[in-house]
Order: sequence, then C-alpha cells, then structure tokens
Amino acid sequence: MPGARVGLAVGLALSAVAAAIVLSSSPPVLAGTNGVIPVPYPPLTSVPGGGGGCQADEAVPGGTSAVRLSLEASAGPRVSVAVWVGGRAIARGVSAQGWLGRVVTVPIVPLVRTVHHATVCFSFAGAEERVSLLGVRTPPRSAARSSTRTLPGRIAVEYLRPGSSSWWSLAPSVARRMGLGRAWAGTWVAAMVALLMATGIVLASWLTLRESR
Amino acid sequence: MSRRTPARRGTDGGPARAVAPAPTRRAGRPATPPRQARGRAARSGQPAPRWRRATLSVRRVPLAAWLCALVACVNAAGWSLITPPFQAPDEQAHFAYVEQLARNGRLPTSSTQEFAPDELVALDDLEVSRVSLQPQNRTIASEARQRKLERDLARAAASASPDRGAAGVAAAQPPLYYALAAIPYALGASGGVLDQLALMRLLSALMCGITALFVFLFVREALPAVPRAWAVAGLGAAFMPALASISGAVNPDAMLCAVSAAIFSCFARGFRRGLTPRLAAAIGVLSAVGLLTKLNFLGLMPGVAVGLVLLAGRTSRALGPRAAARAAAPALAIAVLPACVYVLANLLSHHRALGIAGGVFAVTVGHRSIPGELSYIWQLYLPRLPGMHVDFADISPLRDLWFNGLVGDYGFEDTFFPRWVDNLALIPVLAIAALALREVFLHRPALIRRVGELVTYLALTVGLLILIGASSYLSFPSEAAAFPEPRYLLPLIPLFGIALALAARGAGRRWGPAVGALIVVLFFAHNLFSQLQVIARYYG
Repeated sequence: MPGARVGLAVGLALSAVAAAIVLSSSPPVLAGTNGVIPVPYPPLTSVPGGGGGCQADEAVPGGTSAVRLSLEASAGPRVSVAVWVGGRAIARGVSAQGWLGRVVTVPIVPLVRTVHHATVCFSFAGAEERVSLLGVRTPPRSAARSSTRTLPGRIAVEYLRPGSSSWWSLAPSVARRMGLGRAWAGTWVAAMVALLMATGIVLASWLTLRESR
Repeated sequence: MSRRTPARRGTDGGPARAVAPAPTRRAGRPATPPRQARGRAARSGQPAPRWRRATLSVRRVPLAAWLCALVACVNAAGWSLITPPFQAPDEQAHFAYVEQLARNGRLPTSSTQEFAPDELVALDDLEVSRVSLQPQNRTIASEARQRKLERDLARAAASASPDRGAAGVAAAQPPLYYALAAIPYALGASGGVLDQLALMRLLSALMCGITALFVFLFVREALPAVPRAWAVAGLGAAFMPALASISGAVNPDAMLCAVSAAIFSCFARGFRRGLTPRLAAAIGVLSAVGLLTKLNFLGLMPGVAVGLVLLAGRTSRALGPRAAARAAAPALAIAVLPACVYVLANLLSHHRALGIAGGVFAVTVGHRSIPGELSYIWQLYLPRLPGMHVDFADISPLRDLWFNGLVGDYGFEDTFFPRWVDNLALIPVLAIAALALREVFLHRPALIRRVGELVTYLALTVGLLILIGASSYLSFPSEAAAFPEPRYLLPLIPLFGIALALAARGAGRRWGPAVGALIVVLFFAHNLFSQLQVIARYYG
C-alpha cells in the first residue's frame, strides 16, 4: 500500500509538472504563406518517393522556424527542405518519416530576416509510394520544377514561427471555440471535459490504492 | 478404465483443482454462487432459473472490474466531446449508414458520398473537408458560423430527404453496430444531426467500458495469482487513448474491441476451467456478433476456430469425443449461421459478399503474386529478410506506423505528437516490456503447460495481422500503407492488458504495487497529453 501510494503521488506530481510546462509553452503561429490554396482533388501531380522539386519566387518571413508543404501520402517519406537565396542555402531541415495527411511540417534553422525571391527546394528520402503535390495550376514560367521536368503548377507553402502567447493565455479562446459546432453549444463543453478527466483520475487512483492493499 | 475428470487449471495453469480458485476478498465476490442462492437451489432440488443464473454471473463480476469499465466510459465520453463532429476516421460514412438504416430500414446500397441532405449541411457548415487531414485548419470559430449552422440544420431537418442509400466507405460493413446506433439516433431525432451524433458517440463510449471490463476479466482468468495486477490491466485499457478516441466517435471499431475482449476472456476461462456447453455457446454468440459488427472480425475467426478445436480436444480427452462435440458444435453453428444470413443478404442486395475480404481474395487470385503479398505482409510488421523486395524504403512500419501510431494518432489520423515524444515513449514501453519478459522468463514452465492457450492467442493475433496486411496490399504500391491504422490492432487489447499485468507482477512483491500505480498514472498522463494535443490541433 505505501508503495502504491508513493508511486501514485510521484506519477501524478510528474504529470502535473509536465502539463504545466507544456501549457506554458507557445504554439507556433503562421508567419506567412505563398498565397496558394491547395486543391486536394485532383492533386497537382505526384512524384516518385525518391524525387523532389524546387519552387522559385518565395518570400520567406523573418523568424520562420518551420516550413509546411502541401504534400499527400499514406506513409510519407522523410522530407528535406532547403531555402536557397543567390545560390546559397540559408536554411535547411528534415521532417520525420511515416507521416500521413495533406501537409508535412519541416523544422528549419530559424531565419533572422525576411528573404524575397527565395527558392524552396524539397526532396524525399525514398519510398515505394508516390507523393502527391497539392497546389494550383499555373503557367510553366511560374510553376515549380522537379529535377527532370516543369511541374504543372505551384504547391502551397506556409511559413511558421514560434508564437508569443502561452497556452494558458489562449485557454479562454480555446474553451470558447470548443463550444462551437456542437449539439449543445457553449463553453460548458470545456468544463465538462475537465470534469470528466478529473473524475477518471480520481476513480482510477482510488481503485489503484484499494487493489494494492 | 476410469474416465478422467475434466482438466481444470489452477494458478498459472498448474495442477488440477476441484473448483476454480476463489478470488480474494478485495478482488470481489467469490467465483462460486452466494451461499443464500445455492441454499435455495439445493432446497428446491431444481437448478436455478436461467435469469437468476445470469444475474448471479453479473453479480460475480468484481467491483474493481465495474470501476475500470466506468473509468473507460467516462474517458471515452470526454473524448467524444473533445473530437469535433465528423473529425474521426470515416465518421460521416458511419453516421450515414445509421441514418440510412434508421430512416429507411434498409442496408446501404451505394458507397458514394451522396449522404442525406441534413448530414451534408452539417459537413458543409462545419467545414469538415477543409479541416480534416489539414492540421493547419481549425474548426469554426465564430458565433455567426454557429448560428448559420443551427439555421441550416433546422432547415435541412424540415425538408424531406430522398433515399439515396449511400454510406461511403462503410457501405460494405455488416449492420449490427449500426442497428444498435439507430437507437440513440432515434432518441436524438428531435434535435437534429449533431444531437444524434453526440448520443451515438456515447453508445461507443459505453462499448469502451465493456472492453475495459473484459480486459480485466481476461487478465483475471489468465493470471489469477496476483489480483492487484488485474486493475492495472483494466485501467491501462480504460486510459489507452487510441481506444478511448475511437470509442468517442461513431465507429464500429468500438464494438469490435468489446467483442474481441469478451472472446479473449471466454478462451481464458475455457482453458482454465474447461469448455462447458454454456461457454462454447457464449463463444459462438460472440463470434456471430463479431462477424455482424465489422469485417475485420474475419481476421479473428481462424483463432476462434483453433481455440475451439483445442478446447474440444481437451474435453474429448477428459470426457470423450461425444461430450466434446456436444460442447463445441453449437458454438460453430451459432457463429456461422448469422454470417451466412448476412452474406446471403449482401448477395441479394447486390453487394460484394465479404466486402473488404472479398476484395482481398479477388486481388490475391488476380494480377498480384502471392509471394509478393506475403513479402509485403511480412515487412508490414517485421524487418525485411534478405531477398525480399523493398516495399518500405524509407520507413520502418513497426516503428513509424504501428508504434508511433499507437503513441499518438488522432482525429483523421492527422493529429500526432512531435517525433521526440515518440522517442521518449520508447523508455517506458521498453521498461514495461522488460518487466513483463522477466516475469515470463521466471515462470517459463507454466508457459509449456499452457501452450494450447498461447497458440490460440497467437492464432487470433496472426489472423488479424494477416487480414490488415492483405487489405493494405490492395492499394500497394500507389499507397504504401493505406489500411494499416493503429486502431485496427485494438481488438488485441487484451494481450496489451496481459503485458501490463505481467509488468506489474514482474516488479516483484516489494516494488510491484508502486510499479502498478506508476503504470496507471503513465497511461492517465498519456491520455491527458493526447487530449491536449487534439484540443490544440482543432481549437488552438
């Protein structure tokens, strides 16, 4: 019993500290986009899992610490991104592999200042699956290019930078948003979620102590 | 020659006992009926009526098991509030199936997305297609959008809806879960689509509770020696976010997990106490329910057959072949009959008889090679062997799809933790695995005595893994991993419970209680941070 009590107390204390740290951090915010709104169906094109491409005339905002590319795969390969200006790579980054969805976010070394007319290049580490590029069709002159051909258009790119508001300060707006689009709309939804979480841990703690007697 | 008594297993499958070992006081009620009830039955000279036997069976379930179920229900209900409407895998298709069944009393006839107008209005106003799979987009954020949603839904509810019979990707699934979900659908009819969806999600949350209950009962039968480990397994399942998130949505996986956990529990009971006609009938009924719940249950059927054959073999050795046949035959008949009716109904309504499985067979006998398919399935779970074609060049499916997916893969499988969290999760998982393996190693002679039981669990596992792999191979290589979503492994959650219980037990008498408590808190914390991750993704 004392062992269980100590285990429970230590575990809950560590969880509370971790939650406090997480909620004190700031979520990344959108620093800018290239203005392309991606169209999922049909995709712009698809390239082999070992391929890649480059897109010129990008404006990358200062402070950007991650690049979000509109790509689609079911088990996406590792994606490398490099931002080129004047023949020199000023930022690079690599994503994790195995991603699913219509975007992949690649962290890069934060940029000090905004750069215009940059070329954003991306390459895939290699996979059997083809990767779909999502974007809009454009004239060949402004389209992205793969290593072998001009692609049919431009892909959507977003630039993220670290935010300045902590999750604590965002809590009221998050709670308000949680209450929208519901059967019974209202901020009570967030309160109910917190209550259910608390009920679960109280019951589980009591049961754990009871069973370890 | 004297006839041997039925084999009964004691602790760890050890030597026979006259009666099953009664759990301790703290673990709940004893395994035998209460004295009062037994006395009444003996006085009357008649066996207790069926309803009384059923009541006694329910009352014999320990309080701890009910509490695990309650925690699971509460947790899944929380997930049902956190996940925005229609932002769970294929939820719009599952909802459409229920709507079709409830309104028209017929199975869906089309796998298109031409859902009923009120659902389409909800999908449109909630911007479901803009939000799903695109984590940069959040849910609606203004009161004006909310008012528009309410207005449009009221207008759509008032208009007559044509019978299009469409249920998207869910159309080929069997109807039992959807028929049950039609009850909350009807209860919420006055409120409209979102009320109905919220109530249907609560049905799934209830099934999460049933899953946790049977995980507890399975571990109680499989590892009877350490009662404190049963609650660790039950609570681990209750807090497992992968299970809770899918059980907080309209999805037949919630019911499939409950049925699967019940079947595991029945087999553990059968291997410990012997196969009785009642138990065999229960396995048969559960198999029928599973087959009518989701096609993925087909993957468990070989394991069910193996388990029944092994249990019947033991009964045959103890009581003779007639007794074995009397026990096992009804189970198979009960299991297969509703499935036959369903296949017949499917064929008569011009569906593919076995849905996904039918497609698997079609491809297998089609243009793809069977060695290629076997190689793909192998690589989906295990490291590639020399000579195999490279099907996953840059990813490790075991790590990148299954492990990371179970650590965190929510919403439309588009909400996950940063990579460092997946790496961090390796530490507790490896520690739990080490403790569990230590316990297995210390009690390895018991494993040999329980080889039949282990073969059954292995057959259940392998059958499901092969079904998932074969289904995924259908769209390979255009999609490397279209079907391997971690939620498809959740029917194996009882084995996950066993691993947790073994770890709590493997820590020894001194540290066991503390380790058990830490495991419970670990899963609570995992659940909490998963919920925060989903909240940040949709509402941040």
